[in-house]
Order: sequence, then C-alpha cells, then structure tokens
Amino acid sequence: MKLPGWTREPLVHFLVAGALVFAFFALRGNEVDPSSRVISVDREVQAQIALGFEQMMSRPPTDSELAGLVENYVHDEILYREAIRLGFDRDDAIVRRRLAQKMDMAASARAETEMPSENTLKAWYAEHSAKFAEETRYSFDQIWFSDESAAKAGLARLNSGTEPDKVGERISLPKSLEREDRDGVANTFGERFLEAIDRLKPVSAWQGPVASGLGWHLVRLRKLEPGRIPPFEAVRNDVENDWRSATIADRRAKAYQVLRDAYRVEIEQ
Amino acid sequence: MRRNLARWALAGGAAMLLAGCSALGGPDESQTGDGEGTIELAEFPDRPYWGDTHLHTNNSIDAFGFGVRLGPEDALKFASGEEVTSTTGVKAKLSRPLDFLVIADHSDGLGSTRRLYEAPRVAILAMNDETVLRWYDMMHESPEQSQRAIAELINAAANGTIPEALLNSQEEQDKATSEIWTTHLDTLDRYNKPGKFTALAGFEYTLMPDGNNLHRVVMFRDGSAKTKQVVPYPGLDSDVTGLWSYMEGYAKKTGGQVLAIPHNSNVSNGLMFQLTLADGSPMTADYAKRRAMHEPVVEATQIKGDSETHPFLSPNDEFAGFGIKGWELGNLPLTRKTTPDMFAGNYVREALKRGISLEQKLGVNPYAFGLIGSTDSHTALATGDEDNFFGKHTGNEPAIKDRALHSQNLGTTSGRFGWHYLAGGYAAAWARGNTRAEIFDAFKRREVYATTGPRMVLRVFGGFDFSAADWDGDWVRKGYTSGVPMGGELSDGGKAPSFLISALKDPDGANLDRVQVVKGWVDAAGNMHEQVYDVVWSDMDKRVKSGGKVPAVGDTVDRKTAKYTNTIGTAELRAAWTDPDYRAGQRAFYYVRVLEIPTPRWTLFDMVRFGIKLPKDALDDAVAQERAYSSPIWLKPTAS
Repeated sequence: MKLPGWTREPLVHFLVAGALVFAFFALRGNEVDPSSRVISVDREVQAQIALGFEQMMSRPPTDSELAGLVENYVHDEILYREAIRLGFDRDDAIVRRRLAQKMDMAASARAETEMPSENTLKAWYAEHSAKFAEETRYSFDQIWFSDESAAKAGLARLNSGTEPDKVGERISLPKSLEREDRDGVANTFGERFLEAIDRLKPVSAWQGPVASGLGWHLVRLRKLEPGRIPPFEAVRNDVENDWRSATIADRRAKAYQVLRDAYRVEIEQ
Repeated sequence: MRRNLARWALAGGAAMLLAGCSALGGPDESQTGDGEGTIELAEFPDRPYWGDTHLHTNNSIDAFGFGVRLGPEDALKFASGEEVTSTTGVKAKLSRPLDFLVIADHSDGLGSTRRLYEAPRVAILAMNDETVLRWYDMMHESPEQSQRAIAELINAAANGTIPEALLNSQEEQDKATSEIWTTHLDTLDRYNKPGKFTALAGFEYTLMPDGNNLHRVVMFRDGSAKTKQVVPYPGLDSDVTGLWSYMEGYAKKTGGQVLAIPHNSNVSNGLMFQLTLADGSPMTADYAKRRAMHEPVVEATQIKGDSETHPFLSPNDEFAGFGIKGWELGNLPLTRKTTPDMFAGNYVREALKRGISLEQKLGVNPYAFGLIGSTDSHTALATGDEDNFFGKHTGNEPAIKDRALHSQNLGTTSGRFGWHYLAGGYAAAWARGNTRAEIFDAFKRREVYATTGPRMVLRVFGGFDFSAADWDGDWVRKGYTSGVPMGGELSDGGKAPSFLISALKDPDGANLDRVQVVKGWVDAAGNMHEQVYDVVWSDMDKRVKSGGKVPAVGDTVDRKTAKYTNTIGTAELRAAWTDPDYRAGQRAFYYVRVLEIPTPRWTLFDMVRFGIKLPKDALDDAVAQERAYSSPIWLKPTAS
C-alpha cells in the first residue's frame, strides 16, 4: 500500500494510536481501581473550589459556603465514579459523539499551537493574497434632490458654472465622504446608491443623477481606490490566523480520511 | 469622514506594532482591550452605530434545547457581514453588517444544556430524578421533543420547581461555565476590530420570580484581560441587588465597567418598574441610586413584544398598541395572567413617569433610563428586519413554513401565537468611533435609541435657545455646545425648553410618516401626566390637523404581494420644537417617537412566500408602522 507523504506526520500517528487505545478500552471497559473508593478533597482541590466562587463574587467564600461547595463536589465525584464502575459510559450516544469530537480535536490540536515558519506564511500569503486585500475606498461629493427632474436641472446649473453650495435641497446627509469603504457608503446612503456609484467613473465632473432609497443624487466621484494588497509584513497576523483555521480544517479532513480508508462500510439498501 | 482617517491611522499603527514585536499569533493588542486609544475619534458623535445587545447562541440553556447548533463564532461572523448556514440549512447573510454585538447567553449554567445533552446518560441516571431523565431523553429523541423539554425547563425555572438534582451540581456547573466563558471571551477578542466591528462581552441574567420576567442583559466595557477575572452571575434563585453587588465587585476588582439592561418588562406582571421595593416596602434612595447607576438603559422593543406603552395607560395615544398583542396576556411562561393594575409596572413610558415622581420624593430617580431595541434572537443570527426574520428560536426559522400559526410553548394554551412575535429591534448608539469604550460610554450616557428594525437616523438636542434658524448653520455643533443630546439633562432656568429634532429614513427602507414628542411630567400635587405632540409630518400642507389629530398617512401595502411603495411619507423630517405647555418648576421628560409609513410585517412575507393562510386576527396585524424611540431628555428643577 502506497501512502502519501503527509501520513508520515506525527499527528497522524497520534490519531491512529488514539484510535487503537479507544478501541482497546471500548472492548475491555474502563475499570475503576478499588482504591478509588477514597475521595481526598485535599487543600488544592478546596482551593480550586474556593477560587471558583471567588471568580464569581469577587470575594472568597465564607467557611459555611465552602463546606457546602465541598459537599457538592463530593456528591458529583461519587456519582461519577459509580457510573464508570457500572460501565454507564458505554453504549451511550452522547459519549460516542463526545469521543468522536475529541478525535477531531486531537487531529487539529497541534495546528492550534503550532508556530508556522515565515516561509510557510509567506507561501500562504502568496497563494491567497486576494483574501488580504484592503477594501475599496470611495471619495466623493454629493448633492441631494427629492426628485429626478430637479436633479437634472441641478446638473445643468452646475455645468453652467453655479457653485455646488447653491445647488440641491437640504438634508442631513454628509456632503462628501473621504476614503469610505463599501459598508460605510451603504450604511449612510443605502445599497441602491452603492450599486449606482459602482457604475460611475472617477472623474472631476458631476455625474448623475443616480437614485438611492433617499431620493436623487448628483455625484462627483473624486477618487476611487481599488483595494490594494498590502505587503506581507502589514498583514502577517491575518495571514497566520487564516493559515491556522484552514490548516485545522484540512488536518481534520485528512485525519478522518486516513481512518475512513481503513474501513469497509456496508450500508444496506 | 473622520473615521476613515482613524481607520487608516490604525492600519499604520498596527503595522508598526507588528514590526516591533515578535508575532505570537492571536488577535492584536488593540483587539483585546477596551479599544481606548486604538483609533482616531471624531470631535462629536458623528453617526449612529448599529447593534444588537441581545443575541443567544448554542451556549444558551434554552437556545440549544430549541435546536440551535450555531455558536458564538457563527454569530459574530453573521453580525459582521459574513455568510453562515443556519441550523436548518438556510444560507444567511446580513445585507448591511452590524457595527457591534453583545452575545448574551443565559448565565444560568452557561452552556449547561449543552453539557446535559453531551453528558453520558449514566450521569443523568445517577441523578435519580425522573424529570431530568425524561428531559434528557426528549432532547435526544427529536428536535420537536427537544423544544418541548426546554419549554418545560423554562416553566420549571419560572415556577421554582427545578429538580434538586440539577441544582445540586453547583461546583460542576461553575467549572463548566468558567471554561465556556473564557473560550467565549477569546473568540470575542478575535472578532473585535476597533474602527470596524465591536464585540462586547456580556450575558443574560435570568431573574424570574414566579415566571414574572425580570431579565437583564449584562454588558462589559472591557476586554478579556478583565472579564476573565469573573464568571457570569446566575439569575435563578436570587434578587437583583445580588446582581448589582456582583457588578460592584467586578468594578472594584478589575477597575473595569459593566452595566445591566432590563428587558421584556411587558411580561413582568408589574414587577419591572415598581413604585416600591420588591418586598412591598417603600422605595429607598439607596435602591434608587444603585438602580440608576447600574441600569442606565432599558431594551424597549424586541422579538417578544414592544414595551413602550399600552392603550390602557395611554388612552389618548392613537399609536400606543404596537407589539402588545399576545404579550399583554400574562407573564413570560403565561403561568399568571396580567391584570390591568400591573400594566403601569410593565411599560417604559409609565416607568419614566414613576421615575420623576419618585425623584420628587427621594431626590433620586431610579428609572432615569435611555431606550434601545434588540433582537433577543435564539438562532445566533441577529436579524431585525421584517424580510429576514429567522424566528425567535430555531424551531421557527423560515424553513418551518407555517411558523406564524404555531401556538407558543411560552403559553401554549392561552392564546399566544407565532404571529405575535415581532421581527426584533436594533440599538443605535451615537459614538465618536466604533470601539468597546465608545459604544459602552454611549450607553452609559444614554446617547442611544431604539428602533423596531429599520435603521432611521434620529438626532435630538434639547436646550433653551434652539430655533428653526439653527438648521442653516452647523446645528450638530450647536446642539452639543449649547444643549444636550438625547439621554441628557437640562436644569430648569425658568424658560420653556426647545429641541432640535432630525429624522432621516432608513436609506433602504420605508419613508417616514411623522415625528412626535412624548412628554411626561409631575404636577405640583404629585400627579403624573403624559402628552403626545405631533411636531412634524409628511405633506403637512395636505394633511391638515383636524380635531387635534393629524390625518393618517395612508397605506400602500399590497396584501397579496407583500409590497409597498414610498409614494407616501417623506425621506426626512425636521423640527425645532418648543414645549408649548411648559410650567416653571415642573419635573418633566421628553422623548421622540418616529413613525414609518405602514409596511408588511414578517407574517405577511411568510404568507406570500409560503402560501399559508393567516387567520383574521393575524392578517389584521400583518401590516404595521415601524418606529424609533429616542432616549429621553429630562428637565429638572435647578435647586433640588
């Protein structure tokens, strides 16, 4: 059987070993050592319990509160151990699902803490550079009108040299935006306006009228800056986060595939 | 605009930071704190930032039971504009992303339903409690059974009949809560991007004596370094002063800040805004002071109804009946009916009146709060618009076609139905930039407002020398420098207060019908009053007041297609308004209500989309006038 190179990764060995251990215990059952009939709530455990309380109330528990908390701890510990002793952890849908989840976690655990090399990240950046592009920025002036014919008349006046201040109707919208991104434009002027402005050319002349949900606008699109891709150093953190989440997903899928390939699944039709 | 400069300054700053430190992965330092000093701020709050402070995910005891499997990460992705797949497999993307989000999962056993679901059946058996075991089995049987189990759980919590077995494992719960909480805080930091998207830490405190809803959303100003020092405070089985002690403990220990936002007073059976203390004894100045300090904002509108006012309390307000149907019948689980004497403690307008009346006696106003809206969605999806309603919980996402007709597990037998749900509201915060500190501080000074979903831009300034001439100049600057914004207080100087009010429609929504000022006051004899003034409306020349009323704006909604047109109403309404009924020395508050023209509710969209038939009651209610409520401005006697 010919295996691809990634199966040599320690992660995969770990997974397979884990599966074996799981299978072993699943067959044999978890035996609880008889000596575990002793529950010692030592100082350390008590300190942990007290700390839990303090985290909530920003003050330590009183002696009687602590005694109550310790009693609860003992209660749960006894039931837990008895449950294991009786083998209640087997043939349980939730235990089954939980363990499956843990296997998934084990497959990706290394990726959570792994320090990728600069070369790995640079390669990732080069391959997925579009993901790290800055947003498109719009710089424009706009004049608002409540209806289209007024806006057309307004454009004619602007073209014949009337000052922009003297044209248009009053509304509490910004007269201009500087280097605003798409969300920002949509937030203030709405989506219809955003679609319309994408059809305009970045020239110094007034254009339009364009419609928005608010009315009609004459627009002078002074500058349109398509989102550039910043140098690697500026987005290194984003690259690393992206690499990490992709790597986690990838390892889970591959680890599963290794295990899956070792099974013959028969689904009765 | 200034915030762009800010964003660029930030990008540059972040790049320098990176160059200077060894990259360790994880979020930038700017993302993990309160955001102070991370971006350049505007001189004055320059735009409303939109958010939802009340969203549940699979960490919530009831949301997980109702079937949602989406977690906080999906919720953050969705709110900030990424596409996610909902629990029932529907792809969902918010057309306009939100600016901020508070994920407010129930603190009680935060994540403990998930634990219950994941727990070995044995542990449940060992609890030796038939009820718990039955719930557990129901949760695994089917989504329907899962919902039923949780409905029972909520009822049990409300009635104080939670099985001992569930309550006993406190230590285990604390540990589970702590793990989920710290993981959650790390996730928030990763999505918190100053200048672009704010992820605030929070939880829901679920106090519910006898099923009467006294819930609060608790919201933190700080990043994980401080919030990790505490765990969420459980609500069942305590009273609200315990929550305040917890909040005071947090502030003292960490130097951070935290506030609480009461909600769904409409199903509190008169307990949310009492004139007395909880035990019926007279209100004290100490209680009033603590309440005002910790609870500066109330959530007045959300999926489970609107709490502005009720026709019983405001018989002269022709728009008082919005979002009360179904919810007015009783408390949250409908275990106790609401009687009319309880309404006064259920609605915010009356509470604001009670507040100034109590202030007259005690010198402190316990109910001096601002107003916001939010969703209270249990789907991990912060959807507030009528055409994107994903339901209260996963059991009535759009995949469930006749969801409008289902009777609700919160009161199945007593007449509360799916169509009573509203689509949910949003909170708008006037801030100088989009950071944790700026958004939180806007809440703290009450410079916030509520909408029932649409994103109208509403600006209100109060002072003593505003007039229509101010519109010709830089009125925002004048508003801030010679008056106070919404949420502020004015000292009575013997002159009638005047207000600058500007309302702009949602650019992607419906036109505006009218702007109203709601005034509440206390007279010399201590009696409380209210008055609603129509101050400006669309087509004023054609819609002339008759009999003291402005004629209705009209209705363009086609019941067959769920479409409306903006041929009525207007894009913007402005008014410089002076109180015509001012009396020197009277305590008063003024808030602004903006009404949109009638538009289809989510129920009408469902009817058209899925071809279901709505009963007459529901059909009559399928068109409504969405609205915004500003926070009040208070007028106080000078020397009190």
